[in-house]
Formats: sequence, structure tokens, C-alpha cells
Amino acid sequence: MAVSVESRNLVSAPDGGSREELVVNVGPSHPSTHGVGRVIVHLDGDIVVKAEPVIGYLHRGIEKMAENRTYLQVVPLTDRLDYVGSMYANWAYCRAVERLAGIAVPERAEYLRVIVCELQRIASHMMGIGASAADTGAFTFFIYAFDQRERIIELFERLCGARLTYNYVRPGGVSFDAPQGWTQDVLAFTKAFRAAAADLDRLFFGNVIARGRMKGIGVLSADDAVAWGASGPTARASGVNWDLRKHDPYSVYPRMDFDVVVGERGDAYDRGRCRLLECVESCRIIDQAISQMHPGPVRTEGLPRLLQPRPGEAYDHIESARGSLGVYLVSDGSVRPYRMHVRSPAFCNLALLPLLAEGHTLSDLVVVLGSLDPVFGEVDR
Amino acid sequence: MSAAASFGWGALYGLGASLVIAVAALFGVWAERKVAARIQMRYGPLEAGPFGLLQTLADTIKLVLKEDVTPNSADVPVFRIMPFLVFVPCAAALVVVPFAAGWTPFGIEAGALFFLAVPGMSVLGILLAGWSSRNTYASIGGVRAAAQMVSYELPRSLSVLALCLLAGSLDPGVIRAEWSWWWLPLMAIGFVVYFIASIAELNRGPFDLPEAESELVAGYFADYSGIRWAIFMMAEYGGLVAASLFGAGVFFGGGFGLPGPVGAVVFVALAVAMTICMVWAKWTFPRLRPDQLMSFAWKVLTPMALGQLALVGLVLPWL
Amino acid sequence: MAVTRQQDKATVPDRTPTSVRLAISATDDFSPGLKGFAERVRSLVVGLGITARRSVSRPVTLKYPAEKVELSPRWRGALRLTGVLGREDVALIEGPASDYNGLIDDLYRHDRLPPCVGNCPANVDARGQSFLLADDRAAEAYELVRARNILPGVLGRICHHPCESACKRTYYDEPIAIRPLHRVAFERYAEHRAERVAPLPVTREERIAIIGSGPSGLAAAFDLMHAGFEVHVYEKEHAAGGALLSGVPAYRLPRDVLATEIADLQTMGMKLLTGVRIGTDVPIDHLIGEYDAVLIAAGLQVSRMLPVPGSDAQGIWGALDFLKAGNWKGGCGVKGRRVLVIGGGNVAVDCARVALRCGAAQVTLSSLESMDELPAHPWEIEEALDEGVIAMCSYGPKEVLVENGRVAGMRLQSCLSVFDAQGRFAPVFAEEFTDVPADVIVFAIGQAPQLAELVSGSDLVLTERGLLPVDGALMTTQVPGVFACGEVVTGPGSAIASVASGHEAATSIIRYLDGRSLSEGRVYRPVPVYPRYQPATLTGVEPARRRTVMPMAKGADRARDFRQVELGFTHLEGLAEAARCLRCASEVCVGCTFCARTCPDYAITVERIDDPGHRSVTRYDLDLSKCCFCGLCAEQCPTGALRHTGQYELSFYHRDFAVFDRHEMVRSPEGSRATGADCRGCGDAR
Repeated sequence: MAVSVESRNLVSAPDGGSREELVVNVGPSHPSTHGVGRVIVHLDGDIVVKAEPVIGYLHRGIEKMAENRTYLQVVPLTDRLDYVGSMYANWAYCRAVERLAGIAVPERAEYLRVIVCELQRIASHMMGIGASAADTGAFTFFIYAFDQRERIIELFERLCGARLTYNYVRPGGVSFDAPQGWTQDVLAFTKAFRAAAADLDRLFFGNVIARGRMKGIGVLSADDAVAWGASGPTARASGVNWDLRKHDPYSVYPRMDFDVVVGERGDAYDRGRCRLLECVESCRIIDQAISQMHPGPVRTEGLPRLLQPRPGEAYDHIESARGSLGVYLVSDGSVRPYRMHVRSPAFCNLALLPLLAEGHTLSDLVVVLGSLDPVFGEVDR
Repeated sequence: MSAAASFGWGALYGLGASLVIAVAALFGVWAERKVAARIQMRYGPLEAGPFGLLQTLADTIKLVLKEDVTPNSADVPVFRIMPFLVFVPCAAALVVVPFAAGWTPFGIEAGALFFLAVPGMSVLGILLAGWSSRNTYASIGGVRAAAQMVSYELPRSLSVLALCLLAGSLDPGVIRAEWSWWWLPLMAIGFVVYFIASIAELNRGPFDLPEAESELVAGYFADYSGIRWAIFMMAEYGGLVAASLFGAGVFFGGGFGLPGPVGAVVFVALAVAMTICMVWAKWTFPRLRPDQLMSFAWKVLTPMALGQLALVGLVLPWL
Repeated sequence: MAVTRQQDKATVPDRTPTSVRLAISATDDFSPGLKGFAERVRSLVVGLGITARRSVSRPVTLKYPAEKVELSPRWRGALRLTGVLGREDVALIEGPASDYNGLIDDLYRHDRLPPCVGNCPANVDARGQSFLLADDRAAEAYELVRARNILPGVLGRICHHPCESACKRTYYDEPIAIRPLHRVAFERYAEHRAERVAPLPVTREERIAIIGSGPSGLAAAFDLMHAGFEVHVYEKEHAAGGALLSGVPAYRLPRDVLATEIADLQTMGMKLLTGVRIGTDVPIDHLIGEYDAVLIAAGLQVSRMLPVPGSDAQGIWGALDFLKAGNWKGGCGVKGRRVLVIGGGNVAVDCARVALRCGAAQVTLSSLESMDELPAHPWEIEEALDEGVIAMCSYGPKEVLVENGRVAGMRLQSCLSVFDAQGRFAPVFAEEFTDVPADVIVFAIGQAPQLAELVSGSDLVLTERGLLPVDGALMTTQVPGVFACGEVVTGPGSAIASVASGHEAATSIIRYLDGRSLSEGRVYRPVPVYPRYQPATLTGVEPARRRTVMPMAKGADRARDFRQVELGFTHLEGLAEAARCLRCASEVCVGCTFCARTCPDYAITVERIDDPGHRSVTRYDLDLSKCCFCGLCAEQCPTGALRHTGQYELSFYHRDFAVFDRHEMVRSPEGSRATGADCRGCGDAR
């Protein structure tokens, strides 16, 4: 990709004349790129005529590193994929390993996985819509959303001892059972969260200024969403009813009663509010999971220390906060994966940015970027 | 008054105003941080001084001690001077605030005009500060600021003009002296326009586009650091205090026209309340987009201000 | 919107269930017109209201330092090493018998109970044994084990070692040979026995009678002697040992070992009265009157027989009689004859192997269970098959074929399954019969107590099954001052379980004689749950790290006589095996290097000297600049020496190499660079 570094560009206009474009580098060090993303924006006046996302600033070669580690040692690496939703990457990876090695997971572990992943979905969406709102200047909303996220992180800390890189879901189960009183606190959280979510909805998504900023911005049609491989709330906001928890049910999700949230317009507003309403659905799932859960082992007993799956390949995917997160593993029969590949929803969704941002103003660009909720740890891997 | 005496008085007032602004900024920043913190369920500054009151002072000392960075490609003289060009008009605005009925520190008959016109000059400083940084974000911020501040001058001036009509004078001291309670309902729309336009004029949220952090990093002062950056901040808080004091003085007749110390207390309380409301709004609402901002100024605020003017014009013959 | 629905069906038709309802729409708009204007204004007011309401609520953030940060106990902070091999000793688990359960319980609660100790019914400190043996302190090791195990030399040969089943080392390669190490300790104790075994002082006036000199009786006697009581043990046979003597064949337990250990007890002060049959020779009431407390530890005396047709024919044996005849009274008349053993338990296997050694021409073992379900320990079955025993699994006895009043064989019926879906005993047979010719048939299908004679004339009442009803935890009977323990209480069980019940009974007796409440404040043995490990793959594990293989006599040779099958470890083998112990939960690093092997970031390096008699960790590098705080190393650490501190991961000023070398390891662990333990500001709990 040709990366323009000139800040002023003379381009020929379709009418035969020429016009001056202003080239703005948004990122990689910029408050609203959600990490180290970079977008080269060509401006005609205040209008974006071209937005090129540049990725790779957070590339750590995780897929390559995985080839040099045992199956258990890869789990901490997956923490660092989507660092806003580590549980998902843990889980997707572990599902692939379990499929590869034919490991059955105890029921309680599955419930714990569902609970932590739905909590993680809330935490991740709070981060997503919070940061997206902060991009439009609603910093207090961001703090309120982070307050909710912090409560979840504290629950996670009690559960697994870490706040961000959990390393919780392991091949064959989870690393710890829930500590005493944890499930009650989770229930108390979901109860409080529902009230908080109503507040958040009115504070930001009901606000006239926020609606003015987000409605009609970055409209993604359902056709495009499918054609570009969008998934998660990004696709659902465009009316594509596609949720792996419903359409390729895994774990104990078939036992859960919940609704898929879809949007009608596919604009930035729908994407944001879709995330918020999904959190409320997640609360429903968590409540059901806790009521269905029984005591029992949380890890398959007698798993050897070094997993050594037979040669073969496995792919498994889950519905992460950003979309369908898949992990593809190839085993050559040794104790290390021969190849790991991650199908990253954030990467696919970020590819939509040029499509959605062009024709809008520079101010709208950050709204569009925020509404795609990219996490560059997962984009770059 | 001789030219020398006039200059001397001017310098004295300037010094006084700078001091007032410095102190006001110190506490303004503290108050903003405290209010914002409470809104966001935080404590805010706690450690430096009682209730963290000295936090801003500590920050200022840090800022003074910081390196004063000038970008290589900047237009150096302009870049260096611009913070002061922004600060001075804001400081100057304080001298026409009606601190008592019939009295302003610098008694000029066209005080209201002075108050509206002189701070408006800071737009030049902001524009050039952004421009001289030779930074894309700063330039965009500067240009946005120019457009915004020029646009909001109009409704703000019109709303004050209605008051001047009522009082029959451009002197803020006289306006305060003439104030009576029925101005309150009469000037309600005018006050709302004045309040909103003042926020926009000061580039504060939800109209803080020139410095929109998420889009423009820090806007026109993106490349400023240390004390020069602090002067920009002082100008903003100085303007905030001046706008609140002036608003309380002319729209509420000081302390609702109450005499003596009671009036003074109510006057300051009103100004503080207005300041807090501005902070409250900033920390509650998202930011507007530039085009929305302009259309709000021209399609909503200006007609409202004109309507207010017309209303006052209608009732004037009966007074 | 119509477009999106259509799209939904057009592009992803195959996997979208029609039942999914599109219940929730994210889209929301203001109403048109004036109402919309009102809604817009209201949205601003509502927003201001929400922020105002929050601004008067209590802040949710911390007010440093007035409010302390509370960290989760599982917090994965910076790592630290609490103890180092060669610098700190492993804490031994020892204490008076009456407080021992409390000790174990406390360790268990604090997650510091080694799995081997937890899984042993008598909570023998196997970890301490390995530590002392590796340190070449065999005499102390023997005495440590004897405190709970009473007969380390005996159980070191016959125990079914539940400790080894729980050994954490299984997870890495193979379990520690804990049972053979008991034997090593016993053998090396020979040179210390004369100086270290001395009579125990009798400090109490009360005297206690114990009926039966099996493992449970001896265990109780040992504890009571240590408490200062005078103990008299009554045995109906002419030598002490109970089931150990009559039931355990000599090829597993040489008689001199048992005799030595019982002689030790006698040296300590135990009065042994053999050949006294309580109930016949002496009425039990006499004992109750004579002694301050009586303990019934008589064990199980009779074999259960199957009521199949012909079971009264000549040539039918009960297992206990057969064993007694075979290995005690020397020969049971099976020389050159065909023997059929009915049963699949350990006793059945013993009978089969004894029959072989007595010169039987052919020994067949017939069991109801299939080969995989046999209740006997797998190693016993393997050894028996090795020696030439023929196994006929999944057959149930139908009838004894009798010719002229003598056994000619047995008709067996195929068994399809033994247990039903709930795991209850409910055999299902097929209509398929096999006749097995045999001259001698041994029923080894269980044992029962024979107490009617013993308790006659007293107030003791037996249950329908002939057992003595006791309060299971307290070991008390209906008569005050009379206690019971061992298999009369528990039914058929293992030797070590009998020992454990003996300890419990001794505790009750001591409390009873002290006049204290038997149950008040008493801690019962916790029931620990340890994960069962599948054997680890041994590829890549160097032979030096693996379990020492117990040398065995060759199958064909050993099946002919009663010499011991297991030949025992040499001194060096014993040291090496003891050194393999990971010293679980001791919080002293043994340099096992599992942390280094598990670390995904290669941040840990461990170097150690690992010679028998000289073991130490010489270098421990923890490169915290590489550490990603995944916690895998601390999870893997068997000793618990490597653990997380309650500190924030970035609370280090220097996140550089944290190297313990020899010099630093001798220093106090407090304040070492690796841990930043000087910092107390962030609520470090440890």
C-alpha cells in the first residue's frame, strides 16, 4: 500500500480541474484510534474523500509464536489477542484444542465459561461504546461505562487473579472454580447493571446531540455487511441476524433463552445501541447459567501435562464481543501446534472503514471508527 | 487624564485583572476538576492542600518548570506570542464587569461593547496559534475556532443588546443599577442565548470543537507545552469567570439588585452557579459536529436573540 | 426494514433457524413534529439529571491511602520464592495422636496438606519420610512413619498405598515409591534399633485391655502407650499379628519383619498375652471389670461361603482357613492338585498365589467381574498372572460338581454385567455354562466377624450381620468403657485403614479416661479430594528422573516357594527415590524445574545439584522483564514455594533479572530483589 506522507496533495478532479487535498494522519498515536491504529485521511475541505487504514503497529507474531509453545503455553498468548476480551480468545483457542485432542469438558466448566464470556461481553461492549462516546466528547458516559466494566474486572480478579490477561479458560475446562460467594455477587451485578444500562441508554443514546452525531453516519447495508465478512454487532446493526450463539450453538447456549439484538439502519447509532442492548441480553444469559449450574469438577480430570493431539486440524469459532472469532489449529502430532491461525472479527470489521467513512466529515470519521469497535491487538495479532 | 496617567492606570488594571484571573483560574480549574470528578463518581484532587485546593498551584509550578518546546517548523515569533494575545483580551474583559451597581473597575460608557468586542479579539490569537504551529490538527483547530467564535459573537451580542435597550445604556454598571425583577421573565430567552453563546465563545464543551481531543488531539494548542499551554488554559478559565460574572451582573442585576454585602454574596454565588452549570453541561453532553454547530448558531440562537430583541423593542414604549 | 430481512434470508439461509425471533431492535428515533422537539429538550434535561444524581452519590473510586486496596487471594502479582532447598527444612507433620487430626485439618484448610498425606487413611507423613531419607536420616524417617503407621516394615510391603495414587509426581512422570521407602526405612533402622527403641514411661494408673493384635489393635496400643498407659494385648493365636500373620502370605510379608516390629512394641512396654481366647478362656465381663477400658479389635475371623449346591462337599475351603493353613501351618494339601479360587479380590489373588506355592498343579481364578473391573489391585493381578495363575473372568459359580462326596469341579455361568446403571451390585447372567474340573475350591468372596462367643455374657449386642455396632467416628460401643476398632467396625478393609481406626479409638479412649467429652472440640479427619492423574507420557523424561523400579524375583522361580517376591531397594536406590519427592505444599523449592518448563516466556532458569545425600538449588533466575504474569508456573509449582505476591505487576522500579545465587539464597527471603518485598504500600498480605 502506498502510504502518502505529504500533508498537501494536489489531485486532479473529475471535472478536469484540480483541487488540493489535505492529508491527515490519524494515528498511530492518536486519542481516538483505540490503540495503535492508523488511518490516512484525505480531506477535501472537511470531507473525507479517502480513508486508508494502516495496520501492523501492534503485530507481535502471536500465530508464529504459538508454533513454538506447548498447547497450554499458548493460552497466555491468546490473552493478548483481544486484550479487551481475553476470555473469548482463551475460549476459542481452547475449543479448537479440545476439538483437536478430543477432550470433553465438564458441565460446570462450560457454565463458568459462558458466565465469564457473557460478563466479558458486557465489559467489552462497555469499553466499546464508552470509547466511542468519548470520541464524541461524552467523557462522563465513558467513565460510567468503565465503572461497570471495572466491577466485572473485579469479579474476574476474584475468579482468576488477573484483571486483563485472565488465562482462565484452559483446554479441558477452566483454571479455577468460582470462589465462595462469587455467583451471588455476579447476580447482584447483573441486577445493578440493568438499572445502569437504562441510565446509560438515556444519558447517551437518548441524547439529542449524540443522536445528531451518530444517526445516518457510516451506514452499512446488509449486503455490504455480508459481502465484507462483517460479524457481531457490526453486522447485526445492519439487520443481518447472525449470532453464532443462536446459529451455530455451542457449549450450553442452546439451554439459554435470549434474544438477538438487530438494528434497522446500520448506522453508527445502531451499532452502538446494539452493543448496549446486547449487554442486557447477556445479563439474562448469566442469570440463567447461574441458576442452571451444579457443583462439579471444572477441569477434565487426568489430562496429561503435555497435550499431544493426533496429527490433524481443527477449527472452532465462538461469538465474541466483536463477532465470530475463530481459531484454526493444525497438529503434526507433537506437543506444539504446527500452525495456528486466528480469524479475527475486528480485522474484518475494520476493513469496512474506508467504505463507511468516505463522504463524511473528519469528525464523523472517529465516530465511524469507534462504532466499528476495533481492538488492534486482535487486528494485528 | 494625561496619556501617561491613563497608561499607568491601564497597567495597574491589567495587573489586577491578571491577578484576579490567575486566582480565578486556580480555583476555576480546581472547581471544574472537583465537579467533573463528582459527576463521574470520583473524588477529584484530594492530596494537595485542604480538599486538594492547591492542586492547580502545584500543577502550575510543574508547568512553569517544564521545557517550553517550540516545534522546528513553527513560525517561531508568532508561535511564542500567541498565548499572550489570547490571554490579554480575556483579562481585559474583567475590567468592565459591574462589581457594584453603577461601578465597573474601568469606567467606560460603552462597557458592554468593550466586553463583547475585546475578548472577541482572542480569536485572532487562536487562529494564529493554530496556524503558526504548522501542524495539521492545530490548523484545523484554529480555523474551526475562528468560524465558531465569529458565529457566536452575533447571538451573544444581540442578547446583551436587548439588555442595553432596556437599561438605555451601554455601561454595565448602569445596567446593573437599572435592573429590576421583571427583567428576569422578560430576558429569559436572552439569558439562555447569552449562556449558550458564552460556552461556545469559550470553546468549552459541548462546543469544544477547536480543541476536540478525540479528533484533533488538542486542537490549536496541540504543540504548546509548559507555561504557554498554561496561559491558554488560564485564558479559558479567565473567560469563563468573566462571562459568569458579567452574566450575573447584567442579567441578574448583581445579586438581584440587593444592596450591600448581601448583594455581593448573592452576586458571587450566582456567578459561581453559572460557572458550575457550564462545567456540568460540559461533562454531560457529547460534542457537536462543526456543521451542526454552525447551523445551531445561525438557525437557532441568532433567531432567538433577534426574537428577544424584538420582544424588548415591543415592550420598550410602555416603560 | 424490508431490505435487511430479505438480505438475511438470501445470503445465510442454511443455518438460520426460523424460530429465531427478531425481538429487539437497536434503532430508536425521536417522534416527528413538536412532540419530537419536546423529546429533544427532555433528553438534555434527563442527561443533566443523571449526571447530577450521580454527582451526589458516593464516589466509587478509592481514596488513597485512607481506603486500602483489597486484592483477590488469587491475585497474580509479582512472583516470589518462599523457601529454597538446602536452606529451609521441610516441616514434618508430627504431633500426639489425639491432636493429629486437628493438625491435618489445619493444613488441609490452608491448602498445605500434601496429597500423599491427605489420601492416606492414617495420614502418614510420606513427604517427611522422603525428606528425611533423602537427607540420610533413616532412623528419624522410620520413627516419623511409625508414629502413624505403627508397622512401617510390614505396611512397607503389603500396603495398597493410596498415597502413591495421589502422588502429584504422577502428573509429571511417575509417582514416588512411598511404600518401598517404608521398607527402606525399616531395613536401615536395624542398625539403630538397639539404641533407639526403649521402654516408654508409664505415667498413668489406668490399664487398658486390647482384644486382638492385628494392625488396629497394635495402632491403638502404640498411641495409648505413648500417652502413658499400661496396655495389655490379648491374642487368641500363639503369635501376635492377627490378619497380618494368618492372612498375609509370607512371600509378601516375611514373618521376621512382623515379629521384629511387634517385638519393638513389646520393648516399649506392650504386654502381649497370646493364646488367650476371650469369651472362652476369659469372659469379656472379667476384662471390663479388671481394666479401665477395653478395646475390641478382633478383626474378621470367618470366610463367607456361597450357598450353592454342593458347597458342603469335601475339598471346599474358606479363604481365611486356606490362607492360614497354607502359609502358617505350612501346607494345605493341594500339592499336585487343581485349585479353583472363586472371587476377584485381593484375598482371592492371595489364595491363588498361595496355592501355587503349595505346589498346586493348576490354579484358576474365577471372578464375576470382568478383567478391568476386578476389585483386586492391578499389580497383584499382574504378578499372579505372571506366576501362572489362570484367570477366568466374568463367570459366576452355579454349582459344585461333586463325585463321591468330593469336589470334582465347578459349573460356572457366564456373567454379562455385575453392576447396574446406578453402580449397585446386580449381576446379569447368560444361559451359558462352563464346567471347570477342580480338586479344591476356595471361596474368597468376603469375610465376616465371629463375635458371638467373644461378647457372650456382656451387655454388648451384635447387629444382624454379626458386626459390633459402634458410633463410627468415636468408636464407642453400647457399654461405657468398651471401644471397638478395625474390621469389626469397618467391615473388610485395608490394613492401613485398620491402623487409622486404631488411632481414632485410642484418641477416644484417652479422652474417656481423661474424663473429657469424646466429641467436644474433636477434629475428625478431613476428607480431602485430590485429582486423579492419568499417567503422564514419559517421552522426553530422562531415566534418572523416573521411579526406581522395584526388583522382583522371576515369576517362574518365585511361584515355587514363600520367599519374598519384592527384593527391595539398595541404599543408593532408596536415596535416589526419596530425592524424587516433590515435597508438595512444603513451600520449599526443590528445584524440580517444572516452573521453568511451563513458563511460556522462558523467564525462569533453575540450576541444582541433585546427588543422593547432597541436594540443593544452586541458581534460580526469574527474569521479571520477560514475565507475562500468566500464573502457569505458580499453578504448576508442587511445593507452593513459588507464589504470587499481592503486589501489582508493574510496582517494580527494576523489572530486571531477579537472580538468586548461592549467596542470596542463604540470606533472609525478606526484601530480596526478586520480590520487591520491601514495598508494603500496596497491601502485600504476605
